[in-house]
Amino acid sequence: MTEYAIDIVNVTKRYAEHTAVRDLTLRVPTGSVYGLLGPNGAGKTTTIRMILNIIAPDSGRIHIFGRPSNDPKITERLGYLPEERGLYRKMQVRRVLKFLAELKGVKGSDADRRIDEWLERLSLKTPEKDWGLSKIDELSRGMQQKVQFIGTLLHDPDLVILDEPFSGLDPINSQALKDTVVELKHRGKTVIFSTHLMDNAERLCDSVCIIARGEKVLDGTVTSVKEEHGQRNIALALEGDGISGVAAILRDQSLVKRADDSNKFFEIEMAPGADPQVLLRRIVESGAAVQRFEMIQPSLHQIFLQKVGAIGIEEGMTGHG
Amino acid sequence: MAKLWAIIKREYLERVRSKWFLIATFFGPIFFAAIIIVPAWIASKSKATSDVYNTTILDVTGTGFGHRLAVNIAGDTTIPGRMPTVKAVAPNELTQAESLATRQVMRKEKTGYVVVDQQTLAGESARYAGMNATSIADMAQIKGAIRQTILASRLEKVGLDNEKMKEITFIPLDFSTERITERGRAGSGMASVLFGFAIGFLLYLSIVIYGQTIMSGVLEEKTTRVAEVVMSSVPTDTLLAGKVLGVGAVGLTQQILWIATTYILLKLREPIMAKLGAPTMNFSLPDISLAAGVLFLLFFLLGFIFYSSLYAAVGASVNSESEARQAASPLMIMIVSTAVFIQPVLLNPTGTTARVLSLIPISSPIIMPIRMAVTGVPPLEMAASLAFLAIGCVAALWLASRIYRVGLLMYGKRPTMKELARWVSYAR
Repeated sequence: MTEYAIDIVNVTKRYAEHTAVRDLTLRVPTGSVYGLLGPNGAGKTTTIRMILNIIAPDSGRIHIFGRPSNDPKITERLGYLPEERGLYRKMQVRRVLKFLAELKGVKGSDADRRIDEWLERLSLKTPEKDWGLSKIDELSRGMQQKVQFIGTLLHDPDLVILDEPFSGLDPINSQALKDTVVELKHRGKTVIFSTHLMDNAERLCDSVCIIARGEKVLDGTVTSVKEEHGQRNIALALEGDGISGVAAILRDQSLVKRADDSNKFFEIEMAPGADPQVLLRRIVESGAAVQRFEMIQPSLHQIFLQKVGAIGIEEGMTGHG
Repeated sequence: MAKLWAIIKREYLERVRSKWFLIATFFGPIFFAAIIIVPAWIASKSKATSDVYNTTILDVTGTGFGHRLAVNIAGDTTIPGRMPTVKAVAPNELTQAESLATRQVMRKEKTGYVVVDQQTLAGESARYAGMNATSIADMAQIKGAIRQTILASRLEKVGLDNEKMKEITFIPLDFSTERITERGRAGSGMASVLFGFAIGFLLYLSIVIYGQTIMSGVLEEKTTRVAEVVMSSVPTDTLLAGKVLGVGAVGLTQQILWIATTYILLKLREPIMAKLGAPTMNFSLPDISLAAGVLFLLFFLLGFIFYSSLYAAVGASVNSESEARQAASPLMIMIVSTAVFIQPVLLNPTGTTARVLSLIPISSPIIMPIRMAVTGVPPLEMAASLAFLAIGCVAALWLASRIYRVGLLMYGKRPTMKELARWVSYAR
């Protein structure tokens, strides 16, 4: 096993109107769960497409498991779930899956066996009903997503690439996806997914890379990223009334640099040199009932807002993700 | 190769399994048979039929006019049963004779009856009543015969001797042999024109139908994003090749089924025509040599590759069916304007138009097989046509694969020509 499942060095991809990815370098350790985070139009999809060798970079190099990404042997070790999902609508589920498996070099009988396993596992095949024999467009949206997911994993890929996997999933399928990602990791597989849902990323990922406007903003393990940006953040939860008084305190720039207000819960980034004890004292003095006041590490969400907010999001760049 | 095969297999099986394919394959030959049988049937209706012989002539002239008319209607008196029945009728018995003749017609013993009288001799009027009174051809035949007989009577009056008169009145008999000449044309010459037309029409139809099939297939993969999944597994060129070959194989399967069943239907044509009550025509299928057959298939395949790869490019560059229809209109114009030339080429298969059109890759896949069907094509022209078409295919594939691989990943607005040109120039 090579150390890195994905090794991207100085990769740039330009389109006529803009540069989608600029001088990107990132390494995804083998066996890790890796989050590619960024706002819409940041270059996530372009990066993923280059990893998959769907498009070629203008400069730089990409290695997958130590081999160039255009090596035909590599594609069979990759599983890909595109951002917007769809399958041949008029085709039978089982035939679609078999086709996708054949494209990944799985032999016919082997494919049949795996399809059965997966259909049963995701309860698309029960003693009462075998949805595998139905056409895709006879399935509900949730079931179609399951089928697509099976198609991604049917050939047992070593590297699973999921583009915005959580978008459009109901809570049940969303949980099933998280479980599967964890299970893949336990089996030594590498999973890379793009998302703008920081909550999922924070809970699932070993490492993350935040990109914006085609450039890497930061990367590293979730722990190190948090430590690096480990300004003293404070989680504050209030009870009852008296919030208006607190709001005024939080606007004090000498004390608070930024406060993320979720009505009764605040994530507060202290101003440089400010003392949290002073803040606590003033809040108590204002008469608010404090339920929780805790020094915490910043959430990925905070770091993301802080880093990407500074750079801003280039307008009109929604076309290539 | 295994992956290319997987794509070909999917394209082929999914389409052959569809209801649409079954319906088209079943109704195709019926449609083609109808194309061939219906015009022949209509043509037979526009020709004078044997009905004119089975008539009664009520001769009130008191001369031999009725008998002469019968001879003229029959045309050829040596064929038995052709002579209409002649009844000399006194003027005061006409009403009775007519009601008798009417009853005969009603009982279907006769088709109709003609009344010739003094006015007829004067060249003023004659009357016909019968089942076939609406048949233009039958009426023209009888009218012509009456004119002819009047002319003979007049010549006789002028004092021509019998010999001279017969000589002159035999000329209109030549007129009816022209009908036979036309039947002669309906033989081998007519058959190869029909065959050439059928070939041209079949190629035209297949290219349009299967070109658009490819286009919507590509569009479906693009809009459902299946294309992205497939592209992550195989190179786009393989995907394009698999589609063209798979759908091409469907087209070939359908054509072979069509040709086979149409051939059988044509073999059964005589009994079918007889059932329809049309006279049988000596219609023979042109002999197609194996080499010619192979050439037909080659032209079909190359023409199909040429157009379908361009259709694939159109499918990849748009985002919806309605956009696709619009964007495909230049291709449609190319094909339809070729189809417009099918008839001129059939009429003059060795003319300059035909020869030029069979060299241009846009039109040669349709025009050349037509020429081959109706005339001999010099080997050099054939070779040049194939060579140009092959070059055209390579160019179309090159252009299409470049537009294809960029277009499949581009969503949003339809590209302008300038953007398309830029896609072509992208390395990848």
